[in-house]
Amino acid sequence: MTSQHTIRRRMAATTPVVLALLLLVFVLAALALGDRAIARMAAETLIRVTMVVGFWIFVGNSGVVSFGHAAFGCIGAYVSAWLTLKPEMKATLLPGLPEMIAAADWHVLPAAVAGGAVAALVALVTGAAILRLSGIAASIATFAFLAMVNTIWANWTSVTGGTSSVVGLDRYVNPWVALGWAVAAILVATLHAAAASGLALRATREDEVAAAASGIDRFRHRLLAYTLSAFFCGAGGALIGHFIGVINPDGFYLSLTFLMLAMLVIGGVGSLSGAVVGVLALSIAVEALVRMEKGVSIGAATFALPPGSQEIILAVAMILILIFRPSGLMAGREVMLPARWVAGRASTET
Amino acid sequence: MKRLALALALLAHPALAQEDLTVGFAIAKSGWMEAYDTPAATAAMIRIDEINAAGGLLGRQIKVVEADTRTDRAESAKAGLDVLDQGAEMMVVSCDYDFGAPAALVAEGEGMNSFFLCAEDVKAGIQGVGPNSFSASVLAPVQGATMAEWAHAKREARTAYVLEDTFIEYNKGICTGFNWMFPQLDGAKIVGSDTFKNDDASVASQITRIKELPDEPDVIMLCSFMPGAAAAVRQLRAAGINSLILNGSAVDGSYWLEATPDLSGFVVPVQGSIYGDDPRPEVAAFNAAYKAKTGNSPASQYAYPGYILIDLWAKAVERAGTVDGAAVTVELEKMRDEPTAFGPRSFTSELHHQNTALMQIIEITGGKPARVDEWRISQPVPLDALMNK
Amino acid sequence: MSLQLLFDAMALGGIYAVAALGIALIFGVMRLVNFAHGQFIACAVFALIVPSADALAVMGLGALPAPVLIPLILLIGAGLAVAAEALVFRPMRNASPVALMVSSFALGVALQNLLLVLYGGRPKAVSLWAELGHPVRIAGASVPLLQLIVVAAVVVVLAGLALMLRKTRLGLEMRAAAEDFTMARMLGVRSNRVISAAFALSGGLAAVVALVLVAQTGVADVRMGGQIMLVAFIATVVGGMGSLSGAVAAGLGIGAASALLQAGLPAEARPFRDAFLYGGVILVLLFRPQGLFAPVGAKPRV
Repeated sequence: MTSQHTIRRRMAATTPVVLALLLLVFVLAALALGDRAIARMAAETLIRVTMVVGFWIFVGNSGVVSFGHAAFGCIGAYVSAWLTLKPEMKATLLPGLPEMIAAADWHVLPAAVAGGAVAALVALVTGAAILRLSGIAASIATFAFLAMVNTIWANWTSVTGGTSSVVGLDRYVNPWVALGWAVAAILVATLHAAAASGLALRATREDEVAAAASGIDRFRHRLLAYTLSAFFCGAGGALIGHFIGVINPDGFYLSLTFLMLAMLVIGGVGSLSGAVVGVLALSIAVEALVRMEKGVSIGAATFALPPGSQEIILAVAMILILIFRPSGLMAGREVMLPARWVAGRASTET
Repeated sequence: MKRLALALALLAHPALAQEDLTVGFAIAKSGWMEAYDTPAATAAMIRIDEINAAGGLLGRQIKVVEADTRTDRAESAKAGLDVLDQGAEMMVVSCDYDFGAPAALVAEGEGMNSFFLCAEDVKAGIQGVGPNSFSASVLAPVQGATMAEWAHAKREARTAYVLEDTFIEYNKGICTGFNWMFPQLDGAKIVGSDTFKNDDASVASQITRIKELPDEPDVIMLCSFMPGAAAAVRQLRAAGINSLILNGSAVDGSYWLEATPDLSGFVVPVQGSIYGDDPRPEVAAFNAAYKAKTGNSPASQYAYPGYILIDLWAKAVERAGTVDGAAVTVELEKMRDEPTAFGPRSFTSELHHQNTALMQIIEITGGKPARVDEWRISQPVPLDALMNK
Repeated sequence: MSLQLLFDAMALGGIYAVAALGIALIFGVMRLVNFAHGQFIACAVFALIVPSADALAVMGLGALPAPVLIPLILLIGAGLAVAAEALVFRPMRNASPVALMVSSFALGVALQNLLLVLYGGRPKAVSLWAELGHPVRIAGASVPLLQLIVVAAVVVVLAGLALMLRKTRLGLEMRAAAEDFTMARMLGVRSNRVISAAFALSGGLAAVVALVLVAQTGVADVRMGGQIMLVAFIATVVGGMGSLSGAVAAGLGIGAASALLQAGLPAEARPFRDAFLYGGVILVLLFRPQGLFAPVGAKPRV
């Protein structure tokens, strides 16, 4: 007889598997429709899953709202661009790059990893200062960090190209590449949440004082989560760059920040499944509304929403969801296989 | 109405009733870019209607398909794919480089021609998209250089102050052109420069710095766009600074003049005058056609590039005898001072943009804009100056 | 500091201070970071002109004489904020601050897109009180009359609000609620009334910012207000959450710092002005995590 506790643990372990399968089904369904625009929407959605899951690693576990994660996306995107662009192109567009980077001609995968790693390094350094703050002060400090990165990126012309976009990125990101990163993010998020540091961090979220009294060093656990989360946001930024082919600091500023935040909160900040479901729900809703704005033929009649109404409808829908489900669609629950299944399988093992 | 015209055209030329030639518009039909894309797209339609009425292109009628970029980078690429799936054989993309490039890259990937509706950044072409991409507008640095040389020649400008809005690349381009041209001119000197951001609520500190100069500069080169430009002008004049203010084409239009009533000494270079005083009959004819189609005159000169791009592309297609991207590009690149309704245009294998252009000079006096002159810079802006800012 | 610089700093700081007050009032009573505040400002600006997507703006309410126009716009701002509270935030009274913040952001997106649909995406000119543009000389400094009026208006609004908060019952309740909402409610403060009043005031303050901004810049743009709202939000935190006077002081301070940086930085560094500004914000927070003027008891209690 398997104990209740073991069953719970086995169920929890199925969460990443179920989420990965969900994403796989999503990709297959999108590709089965055979529409290139839908396939692009699927890739874009999975890039967002990578970033929002990364974002959740910090926000979900620590309970601190960060406005700074779009900046990590910006850093990741530019690092990947610096490493993969043809050296002769960099010589004309970005003459201020240091010799070593200017000569680099990396493969895209290590460049994306490097993008994430540099973002994580920046997070480690800035987080060491910012995360000493608590609550709303920490949030504002992350926002100030975002504004600083944006200002520097928009004006450090010889290295970042300034407001002039960096062009010519290899557009290799398809739904499968994005799926790989999204699943990696989900796995790491699960492992982190289940590890001692993740547990300790959630303890500080629930009760700061009690956690401190139990000898938990809040700062250290927060910094770890912040660094990990910056890695996936940085890698996600690199993916965005190689998805669109052109990057500009403006693409990694307030609208991305709020998009990530909205997806996380609509899905439910309390669980990893919430992060994934939020991205899927909002992305699919946007796509559906966009199609309806274009016009949908039902029989002989064509029905179309007036232009510009998509954003309004979506915003109102978000407000309604938050009114009726203030903890988000998943309300803190995880998707997992039912107890019967894991218990059944366990009994055959024994 | 368009259908009717098309049907009539088909009836008139039964022998030519072959498959339509499709042009895809991946442009912003919602979001803030819409206000800039729609006039230029409307102008493009006017030229398409004219071509169709005259029997079409290569004997085929031009059909237009559209998709909305929603003023969003990722949606722009999707809009590009969308018009591609609707059978587009040439793609017209958003006015701004950033919002047009993702769609233009899709076209480039198919070996198709793409035209930016009115991008003025050198990257909107070979440098930022690929060999088959073009823009019909005039590079921002040319506008700045035109202002520098004209003000020096016609208004004895010897001292200039540069006020740069660092918000978008276009502004920096205007200043690049001005800073390249003005110091080369006889006895001319840039006496100071400063920056601001388009959404700054006040530019009082920047104004104080200008007022601290020993002498008021002859001209102030304001590299900005709306709404920040209007706000800066209002504050400059309110502070009693009366220098001639020079600008790029982006501030053309009388719609914002209410912001500074009785504004005088304000100069804009444009491709054609929307104020009914352009001496060229083709411009007047276009303005009338635009008014007939939309009920209003163009709100700014940014309608014109839409007309030019279809005009030039159609000529190149006729010469190439095909819509194949590479073949049309070859013909486009042969164009040297090709006449259009709005002045001559050239393309080369290095630059799919205008690095010099005949520009109309619009001056605002007592709140009334009027064409006062025309000017073409004495030497084209070199590629080095365009690329290395 | 020269007098000229002082006036320049006040022109910017004043706007930030009024905006910060609008944010702090609502944060104080319901822990809501209202990201729709910037759109309240934009809506109040666009209320001046007739809705139309044409390039040329036609003044609607804006054509009214100032004594009618000013109260009317303030009422519109207040009405909008109260309606937002009743429709969006009241049903979410028990939601977490993050959920509240995201719904305020969604409200802002809805309002902004509504303005886009009604007015089109092109910025519009609004000629409001252009005759105020004449420069005046005061003790060696040349200041546009408008700038003086802006400063005076900010002072009057702040003084009026301070008086209201100190001398009226509603003001007392509001201050109590801002300090400790639960305790205030237990002591008989009518929460709905206080919250509605705070929103009305906040909306009115947004309208003040709108009028000042229009008078200063002469343009209306759907994206206006966003940048001011963010600075105001930062000022609220730097000033000390829940401290109204702290928000005002920090708003003034950030505006002044921005003007000083613009005046003092060498030309090459000036484009990076905002990076220095926000770096300063982080430094201030590191040294004073509760904000510069934290109210007593703002530290989390065990």
